[in-house]
Amino acid sequence: MKDLLRTTTSLTEGVENILNLQAKLESDASNKYLAMAAWLDRNGFANTASYLYKQAEEEREHFLKIFKFITDMGGIAVTPSVPEVQQEFASFREVFEIALQNEIAVTQAINKVIAKCRAENDYATEDFMMWYVAEQREEEKNARRALELFELINENEATGKFELDVQIAKIG
Amino acid sequence: MALVSDLTTKVLFETEKGYSYQCDLTNKIIINFVDTVSSYKIQDFLLFQRKVNNVDILDMLYDLSDKSDAQLIETTKRNFSRNLTICEIVQLRELLNGTKFTLNLHSMLCNIVNVELI
Repeated sequence: MKDLLRTTTSLTEGVENILNLQAKLESDASNKYLAMAAWLDRNGFANTASYLYKQAEEEREHFLKIFKFITDMGGIAVTPSVPEVQQEFASFREVFEIALQNEIAVTQAINKVIAKCRAENDYATEDFMMWYVAEQREEEKNARRALELFELINENEATGKFELDVQIAKIG
Repeated sequence: MALVSDLTTKVLFETEKGYSYQCDLTNKIIINFVDTVSSYKIQDFLLFQRKVNNVDILDMLYDLSDKSDAQLIETTKRNFSRNLTICEIVQLRELLNGTKFTLNLHSMLCNIVNVELI
């Protein structure tokens, strides 16, 4: 009797499930950045708004990369639902504090995917996910740098917010 | 019928309400549930199994309205389209989950045999 499961896909059910969860997380991250960018835009922070619009695009690319990988491996990619995201923020600084928290959550989730791959001896998926490890290192560094700029530039000074808007947009 | 002879060797799972088997000629899983026969590519079978497992039985039990007595279960490409009662959903679930278990077990055994051959 043929092994139809293995000939159809190289992903185990466990790895496929966790990859679908990761794809959803990346998709959600894209929407969160989009909401942040819109908030920044309507509050006059045009430069950082552009920066976060770009981040939203990047997160969507990360989502699609996983989504495509699942189907390429013969798995079943599940289109994620779109949940409500936070639309309002207390301050300019809070936007970037939340952005860093999101990036940390994504990094932790990626580590879980890799741990699962190792537990199931799925080295092909582990190799694929290594790109995300490097990417998250960069994303977290950038998110931390944004908060660091809030320490260096006093946003309550005359041109503080304006300067922060210019400098944060230069990150990365 | 050629398919009947396959049944003797390739039955995956059998319950009181039906049985399933694998057709190596078409690479499909055939489900016979209460005299409804449907065949699936492996991915479609997995989607079907997930769909049936995702039916909220408790919700149907607690909902006293008539519409919750049965639920329309449809699969990809409309291979299977039936209004099933709660009892039938549980029976179909048993058949599909048993089939999936056998497929997994067979895959694991093939993996072990392949590793030992290397």
